[in-house]
Amino acid sequence: MAWQKQILRVNLTTSNCNIEPLNMEWAESFLGSRGLGSKYLYEEMDPAADALSAENKVIFATGPLTGTMASTGGRYTVVTKGALTGAIACSNSGGKFGGELKNAGYDMLIIEGESDKPVYLHIEDDKVEICDASDIWGKTVWETEDLLAKKYSDPLMRFAGIGQAGETLCRYACVVNDKHRAAGRSGVGAVMGAKKIKTIAVRGTRGVHAKNPKAFYDIVNSVNARMTDRDEMSRDGTLAMIDVTNEFGSLPTRNNRSVRFEGANKLNPEAMHTPNENGHTNIVTNHACYGCTIGCGRICKIDPTHFSVKDRPEYQGASGGLEYETAYALGSACGVDDIDAATFAGFICNEYGMDPISMGGTIAAAMELYDIGVIDENTTGGIKLEFGSAEALCQIAELTGKGEGFGADIALGSKRLCEKYGHPDLSMTVKGQEFAAYDGRSMQGMGLAYATSNRGACHLRADPYEHDFETTDTPGKAKVVAESQRDVAFIDSSGLCLFPGGCGWGMDDYTELVNGACDGNWDSQETGERIWNLEKLFNLKAGLGKKDDTLPKRILEEPADVGTGKGLVCKLDEMLPEYYQLNGWDADGVPTKETLERLKLG
Amino acid sequence: MDISVTLFGGLRHFLPAGSSFNKCSLPLEEGERLDALLAKLPIPAEKAYIVIINDEKVSREDYAEITIQSDDKVVLLPPIKGG
Repeated sequence: MAWQKQILRVNLTTSNCNIEPLNMEWAESFLGSRGLGSKYLYEEMDPAADALSAENKVIFATGPLTGTMASTGGRYTVVTKGALTGAIACSNSGGKFGGELKNAGYDMLIIEGESDKPVYLHIEDDKVEICDASDIWGKTVWETEDLLAKKYSDPLMRFAGIGQAGETLCRYACVVNDKHRAAGRSGVGAVMGAKKIKTIAVRGTRGVHAKNPKAFYDIVNSVNARMTDRDEMSRDGTLAMIDVTNEFGSLPTRNNRSVRFEGANKLNPEAMHTPNENGHTNIVTNHACYGCTIGCGRICKIDPTHFSVKDRPEYQGASGGLEYETAYALGSACGVDDIDAATFAGFICNEYGMDPISMGGTIAAAMELYDIGVIDENTTGGIKLEFGSAEALCQIAELTGKGEGFGADIALGSKRLCEKYGHPDLSMTVKGQEFAAYDGRSMQGMGLAYATSNRGACHLRADPYEHDFETTDTPGKAKVVAESQRDVAFIDSSGLCLFPGGCGWGMDDYTELVNGACDGNWDSQETGERIWNLEKLFNLKAGLGKKDDTLPKRILEEPADVGTGKGLVCKLDEMLPEYYQLNGWDADGVPTKETLERLKLG
Repeated sequence: MDISVTLFGGLRHFLPAGSSFNKCSLPLEEGERLDALLAKLPIPAEKAYIVIINDEKVSREDYAEITIQSDDKVVLLPPIKGG
């Protein structure tokens, strides 16, 4: 079996580190990573506890396929109660950290309690130590990794940690691993900051074993051969989507005032690949995570003459560049069409440890508050926070990373910011989490997916894309969303990435890999539904309910201005009752006793 | 007369030689239908895509019914997933 069958538990209050057997009964029901981490969190903490209190736990959970030879088998999930949302947070990341943690011998790392002084965790197989972090507290993610890499002199050591944004409890602080991959959403980095744990340094040499290595090898090869459509993802990354949504009319622009951005052609793959007037090309190369055969990551450089990096050589090197979500959040959402400025703001998010989707969404909301005169330069510390201002975007991004000036307000997230300034309707959030890069009016299924996502607005909790691009009519969307939420939960729990699903794989391919690596005959729908309902139960106990399964007034009442969905609002009320019914939930969105018993959650 | 057609994402593979990054110019006869215009692009039959004309999504069953004008904005989108 591909589980390591043991977990590492670190209590920061008592400074105890213990290796425990994995609960295999739970593993056989919840698979791993997102699902199994959620099971441990649900069983071990009171969901009503404050996300930033010692009662909360942070779980780094790998899946059974993490660290195997399966393509994209390098994923891990940070499971905790989200500081941004107050809901369950299952924030998934790639890079190489997850594979290394698994190779160190652990399916999961559970961090509990809180330290009274900054610490970091050093893991080399079964050698585990809590170390003083006083000399790296206050450092960026990049500085921290460089300092510890030098200290341990092991080029294969991997790091996952927080920057200053996590230390200052920015509500959407994230956990960054390998310098530019991140467990980005829901504020998982703020929870680490509250516990005063700066980073996890891990090196593993134990290997990961499938139940039948030869048979698994054959399965991996045959499934890989079915990944037939990956060239576009390798060349353009997820950024290819920006042309599609812009033409379709579902690219959120200027805090969702519009669904089309006139500057999208300055942020798209063509712009990334074409030399500018100085002969500078934004993209350097693509990048693959552990075991990945796609390589969707972007490695980019900012034009050294650009105002954001002029005379700042530390930002003139190559690092993680724009992907679709960052091009939206740091581009169209703020009305900014400057690819170098958006790339710089993305660098800042990686360096200080912030979710660029939430930061961009919050800056966009602040720009609208500025635009309608609710805040002014006195509020912003002299920054002209106008839609379209690349200079303002770059300035405010750095202030937010440091938690300084008006950046401290941006660090609140859009919901708290808009409430503070008396305009809660201007926050484009669900459960306090900022929208991803799709508008729920021209993509009705995505609107339902946002509203019902257990971790707040998210484009990676369901897969309504094909149906949404086919029709804006609502019949059938509840079923597509409900069933794809289960599939996604299963994939997230396996240790694999979602993106092969856009490159030729179907659910049968994922299931074949899981069955090949683990004992059992897995049913993705059944397992995914169990996980989805468990997350729902956590949220109900945390105080979230039907009132939170909704969308901002703008999406429900203001029609889309252009595109294929022109004139439409999101018809959530047509879809939500059917969605609840398909899930076996009552009219208030609560799983029925029969549903819980069927899923063995009763 | 000619018409400009835009192909996004992986559909760019099927642009005729000499096209720009994602646009090509195709000859258009008066009264030409959409299906005849699309047939001028070497896109394999099994390749799925979405056609948008002047901000309106066109259903596949209407391809043979729609007459194209030279000033129409014709865009082909691949049905990709998000990230």
